[in-house]
Amino acid sequence: MSELLRRFRYGLSYFALASLCALAMASQHAPRELGFAPRLVLNLTLPLERMVTVPVSELRGVWGDYVALVGVREENERLRGSLARAEEENHQYREAILSSERFQKLSGFRAQREIPMVPANVIHQDLSAWFQSLIIDQGAAAGIRPGMPVITDSGVVGLVSGTTPGASKVLLIVDPQSRVDAYVERTRARGTVRGNSGHEADFEYVLRQENIEEGDLLLTSGLGTVYPKGLVVGRVASVDRKTSGLFLSARIAPAVDFTRLEEVFVILEQRQIPDEEAFSAADEGLWPSAPKKPSEATASAAPPKPAPAAKPKPKTVPAPAAAPPAPTPPEALPEVIPGAPQPAAPAPEEPQE
Amino acid sequence: MSGLLRLVGVGLALLLAQALVHLMLPVAVQPDLVLVYALAMGLRGGGLQGLLLAFGAGFIEDVLSGSPPGLFALLCGTACAATRLLDRALYLRAAAPWATYVGVYALANFALCGLALKSFAPAAALPWELLVVRAPGSAVLTALCAAPLLGLFRRLLVEADRDGSWPVLATQSSRGRP
Repeated sequence: MSELLRRFRYGLSYFALASLCALAMASQHAPRELGFAPRLVLNLTLPLERMVTVPVSELRGVWGDYVALVGVREENERLRGSLARAEEENHQYREAILSSERFQKLSGFRAQREIPMVPANVIHQDLSAWFQSLIIDQGAAAGIRPGMPVITDSGVVGLVSGTTPGASKVLLIVDPQSRVDAYVERTRARGTVRGNSGHEADFEYVLRQENIEEGDLLLTSGLGTVYPKGLVVGRVASVDRKTSGLFLSARIAPAVDFTRLEEVFVILEQRQIPDEEAFSAADEGLWPSAPKKPSEATASAAPPKPAPAAKPKPKTVPAPAAAPPAPTPPEALPEVIPGAPQPAAPAPEEPQE
Repeated sequence: MSGLLRLVGVGLALLLAQALVHLMLPVAVQPDLVLVYALAMGLRGGGLQGLLLAFGAGFIEDVLSGSPPGLFALLCGTACAATRLLDRALYLRAAAPWATYVGVYALANFALCGLALKSFAPAAALPWELLVVRAPGSAVLTALCAAPLLGLFRRLLVEADRDGSWPVLATQSSRGRP
C-alpha cells in the first residue's frame, strides 16, 4: 500500500491540491475577511512589489507630464471651449441648486447628508490581465468591512471584497464579477453596469426602445445593496441597437481612470442585504390571504435580529461625485456582490424624497 | 537547500516582473511570466517540490489579483503536471521546442481558464470572445519570454536535484536525467 502511494504520490498530490483549488473557487462566498495564508502572502509580497512598481509609476508620471505632451495646444483650445460651456451650465446648475435648497427648507425634508468615509492610498494593482482589482492601505482596523463601496471624487471605483487589519482588496466596477445597478441621468433609463475585464464596462438589460446616446451620464440607482444613490459611474461611450431582442447594449467609459488611481475613499456605511424574513414579511403584506405553513409562521413570528454592533465613528466627509437628487426609477435590479446569495424577490423601494 | 531557495527567488522575481509588465504593456500583449515559471517547474521529470512551487506561485497570484480564490493555483499546478508528462516526449531541452510548447500551452491555458471559471465560478466567467481576442498576442509574448529562461531553469533544477534541497519530497524519477 505504501509502495503504491509512493509510486502515485505525484498524481495524488496533484489531484488533492487541484481539488482544494476547485473547492475554493466553487465555495466563493460574499466578500469577507481574508484568511491567514492570504494575509501572510500580502504582508510579505506587497512591500517587495511596491519597491519595484513605485519607481516605474513615478517614471510613467514623468513621461506623461513632461515628455508626451504632443497635441497639448489643440487640446488646450478644445478645453477652453469646453470650459466656457461648462461655466454656462454651472451657472444654470447653481440656480437649480438654490431653488432646490429653498424647496427643501420649505418642505422640511432632511438636511444635506454627510457620509462617513475613510481615505486610503492605492498600494497595488491587479497582477493578472483578466481581473480588475486593487489593494488599498486601510483595512479592518480603520472600520472597513467587506462589501463597502469605494469611490473617488470622480465617481465609483468598486467595492471592498476582502480585508486584513491593515489593507483591503477592492473589486473594481470593470471587473467581470462586478454588477452595478445604474440609470441614465438624462432619460432615467435603467440597467446594469457589468465589467468586461478591460478599461470599459457594459451597460446591460436596457430596453431597446430607451433613449440613450453617447455621452450620457450614468449614476448609481441606490437600489442594490452596495452603492448609495446618485454616484457617478461613467458616460456612455457607444450604443449598439440590435435589430432584434429586448435589450440594447451600450459600452460605458468609467468616470474613474483606474490606471492612474492613487487615492480613494471607502464609504463606511454598509447597506444590509434583506434576509428571508424581511421578504416573507413583505410577501405577507402583499398577499394577506395567502395560507401559511406552520414552520413559516414560526419563522415570521421570530423576534427581529439585533442590529450590528456600532462601528468606531470616523470623520465625515461630504459625498463627492454625487449628482443632484433625482426621482427613483421604477423597478429594481439589485447589484450583485460576487458569490453572495441573491434574494428571490425585488428589493424594497427607498422612501421617496 | 540553496538550489531550492534560488528557485523560490526566481519565482518571486518573475512575480515582480509580472507586476511591472502589467504596468507597462497593454493587456492584449502581456506575457504570463508566472505560467512560464509553473511550466518550468515540471521540467526534468518535475519533482513534487516543483509541483508545490507551481501551486504556490499560483496561490500568490490569486492573492494579489481579483480572481476567484484558487483559479491561478489550479492553472499553474496543471501546467506543471502537464510539462512533467510531456517533457521527454517533446524534448523540451532546447529553446525552440520549449518556446513553442510554452506558446501552445499558453493558448490552451486561456481555454482552461475559461473552462475552470465556467465550471467552478460562473459568476466570474469571462466571455469567450474576450479570451480569443487576447490569447494570441499574450501567448506569443509568453513564448518569447520563456525561450531565454530555459537555460536558467534547467541549471537551477539540476542544482536543486543535486544538493537534495528537499530530499523528503524529491522524486526518484528526476534523478540521473540530462
